[in-house]
Amino acid sequence: MSQYLFEMRQIVKEFSGVRALNGIDLAVRPGECVGLCGENGAGKSTLMKVLSGVYPYGTWEGEILFDDKPLKAYSVRDSEQAGIVIIHQELMLVPQLSVAENIFLGNEIRKFGGVMDYDAMYAKAEALLARLKLKDVNVAAPVMNYGGGYQQLFEIAKALAKNARLLILDEPSSSLTSSETDTLLSIIEDLKRDGVACVYISHKLDEVARVCDTVTVIRDGKHIVTKPMSEMTTHSIITAMVGRDIENLFPKVEHDIGEVIFEARHVTCWDVTNPNRKRVDDISFEVRRGEIVGIAGLVGAGRTELVSAIFGAYPGRYEAEVVIDGKPVSIRSPEQAIKAGLSLVPEDRKRQGIVPLLGVGDNITLATLWHYATAGQIDRQAEMQVVDAEIKRLRVKTASPELPIVGLSGGNQQKAVLTKMLLPDPKVLILDEPTRGVDVGSKYDIYKLMFELAQRGVAIVMVSSEMPEVLGVSDRVLVVGEGRLRGNFPSEGLTQEQVLAAAISHAAEGPAHAA
Amino acid sequence: MQAQKVQQLFVRYKILALLIAVAVIWIFFHVKTEQAFVTPGNLSNLFRQMAITGMLACGMVFIIIAGEIDLSIGSQLGLLGGVAAILTVNMGWGTWPSIAAVLALGLVIGAVNGFVVTKMRVPSFIVGLGGMLAFRGLVLYITGSSTIAPAPDDLIALGQGFVPPVLSVWIGAIIFLAMVALTVRRRVRRAKLGLQQAATWIDVARIVAIGAFIFGFVRVLNDANGIPIPVMILLALLAVFTYVSTQTVFGRHIYAVGGNMEATRLSGVNVARVKLVVFALMGLMCAFAGIITVARTGSGSPSAGTGAELDAISACFIGGTSMRGGSGTVYGALVGALVMASLDSGMQLMDVDNSWQMMIKGVILVLAVWVDVLSGSNRNA
Repeated sequence: MSQYLFEMRQIVKEFSGVRALNGIDLAVRPGECVGLCGENGAGKSTLMKVLSGVYPYGTWEGEILFDDKPLKAYSVRDSEQAGIVIIHQELMLVPQLSVAENIFLGNEIRKFGGVMDYDAMYAKAEALLARLKLKDVNVAAPVMNYGGGYQQLFEIAKALAKNARLLILDEPSSSLTSSETDTLLSIIEDLKRDGVACVYISHKLDEVARVCDTVTVIRDGKHIVTKPMSEMTTHSIITAMVGRDIENLFPKVEHDIGEVIFEARHVTCWDVTNPNRKRVDDISFEVRRGEIVGIAGLVGAGRTELVSAIFGAYPGRYEAEVVIDGKPVSIRSPEQAIKAGLSLVPEDRKRQGIVPLLGVGDNITLATLWHYATAGQIDRQAEMQVVDAEIKRLRVKTASPELPIVGLSGGNQQKAVLTKMLLPDPKVLILDEPTRGVDVGSKYDIYKLMFELAQRGVAIVMVSSEMPEVLGVSDRVLVVGEGRLRGNFPSEGLTQEQVLAAAISHAAEGPAHAA
Repeated sequence: MQAQKVQQLFVRYKILALLIAVAVIWIFFHVKTEQAFVTPGNLSNLFRQMAITGMLACGMVFIIIAGEIDLSIGSQLGLLGGVAAILTVNMGWGTWPSIAAVLALGLVIGAVNGFVVTKMRVPSFIVGLGGMLAFRGLVLYITGSSTIAPAPDDLIALGQGFVPPVLSVWIGAIIFLAMVALTVRRRVRRAKLGLQQAATWIDVARIVAIGAFIFGFVRVLNDANGIPIPVMILLALLAVFTYVSTQTVFGRHIYAVGGNMEATRLSGVNVARVKLVVFALMGLMCAFAGIITVARTGSGSPSAGTGAELDAISACFIGGTSMRGGSGTVYGALVGALVMASLDSGMQLMDVDNSWQMMIKGVILVLAVWVDVLSGSNRNA
């Protein structure tokens, strides 16, 4: 009997001759949480797909031991039967079905004749949620009534309903607020005490440091290091992930701040489904040439709505006055916004950023295709020269500019989307969560690019939920809470606590402000 | 290993698999009809039949790539053909002014469809379903439910006439030289840009195959009076639509809109305008198909084009267009149309009952798309 619940040994996985995984080892003891760290494209998702049976036994080399027995999973069902459950970054819940129905989806408690036993399911769902310290949930209500934090916990309940003994969490906090993340982490600690083992995959190293006992770092499909967390620091993990020493996460460069170049006045957005509710309530702000303004706030505070209204892309009713270079401009569509000198890099890369089947190059030139065309005919040569130059400049890793962009890692996709929106040569660049799901190396490249742009006089507006990023990159920080501007601070000497206090300051006062 | 290589070849050159399928169908019918299928007369007829479905497929492939669908094209064809017949027969307009008027009307009808889809935001499936009924009703109304005949001779010549054999040879030669020039230009350009090249033997084999095909095509059709004029029009449309889809900003935008509409909109592309133009082009193609239908039959029938939308949509899917939009080719759709036309022609020649024809075509459509799914080429789509 070995000390491990679960062991992967020398896993090798090839895709048409390319080694995505090259001899990876990973081992987890009962009740232990192992942090799996690596840049995007390092092979974490591939490894998890091997582990969970998405890539069936036999399509990879190496061996997996579970309870000292070889595990031969031919499908996800097989690995779940063994007690391995994966919780994906994107939540896999059916919004219209009830909480209980989701928890038991594919695993329903049945009565005679295949009829669902709702009483038993409700009772068991409540018991599971109680174990996760969730008491105010109506398990018969649809999942969509609950926020992202709750939904993440429903996913865990779903895993527990399958008697999970090894829980794999892939970027579980990417859409959670910091208090929701806190709850999640303390629940993981509880589960560990019950003997459940975890693999925790995250770019957020402070979370890894808090909840994990052991850290395994992989890079370019190779196993780099496995050590107890007590012997690692955030810095040493990053060094192992990147393979080079990143001195400073935020390569801040001095840049001159000039005159006011952009003003947004009285931006107000109404909810798409509930026209009486204001998502953004009369926000005005200005940005100077070469200035980086961070917009902080809790998830759902209205930051994305604010910037999409400015860009002419808000789907519901909205009002906004935009002044660029002292001249009022009318913007009712992204097309007009780009003409006026605005660019927006949207929040949700997959849904709003990339056209998956188009080539990397075609994606990069999508916003500026007319620049390379005469009488509507594309000059391929001119187009490809620009594409080549941009791919080199931003270090986008792709075998060929003609390959579909969907095959690139998140960080490289984000760089391509970024360069697409930089090619129109904007005066004002709006970035909505520019580093979400992006690996440390690409993050560094993106920050560096932002400082370069600021030096050239571009005004930058950055919406971000990552507090260190907001404080580390911005010259000035705007705090948005419940659709209103709650603070406007120079970033010099600003602390996370001050920003957070501003974000939630009025929330406690109740409905007086909700009107 | 060998089998895997063959599979990869077919995934990359899907068109090859399709052409083999056409060959198999032809051989099957040729044997079954005691050598009556692959004859100049029959093939001339087959291509002429295919021309109408092909014209519709040209427009439809853009619609499907853009992520939409248009079910009303059969009725549009009937309506526009009916208008062409009324203008020339009942109102005594000249053939060319009538054609110009019908083409313009087609463009307008398509644009109206596009307007309802993009600006009024009614799903295109519903707009097509409504249009299918409404346009058919309209053609019944304006023709009084009766066939309008006889069409003037110069109109009929468009449907039943031929490009003279000598000219056909020249046209064939010009197309061949153009293909060679395009291939060479592409290789030179890709070399200059440092992009991956197809192996030389593949390009040479392609050119030789195209040359052999054009030679055989012209030769066989010349034995039956030359290239039929509708086929000539279709070839011209193939060239124009392929050019638009691969070389123009508008073409790139069609693929982008179908691939991810939100991302394309946020890149500053006017997605509504792209879709509206695609629908307008579809209307224009319906006008072409309507005019040629009248010209072929010499009359405007109120039931013309019934079910044509199914043939055109099937042609696109058999030709490898993705059901979710974002990918597909014009030439693929035309080979798809050739498959459908070959089945029609062969089964008619074998005197297969209409009931069986419908069942067989239905099953083959589903089978063709299933094979496409199996080959894995649509997995990312």
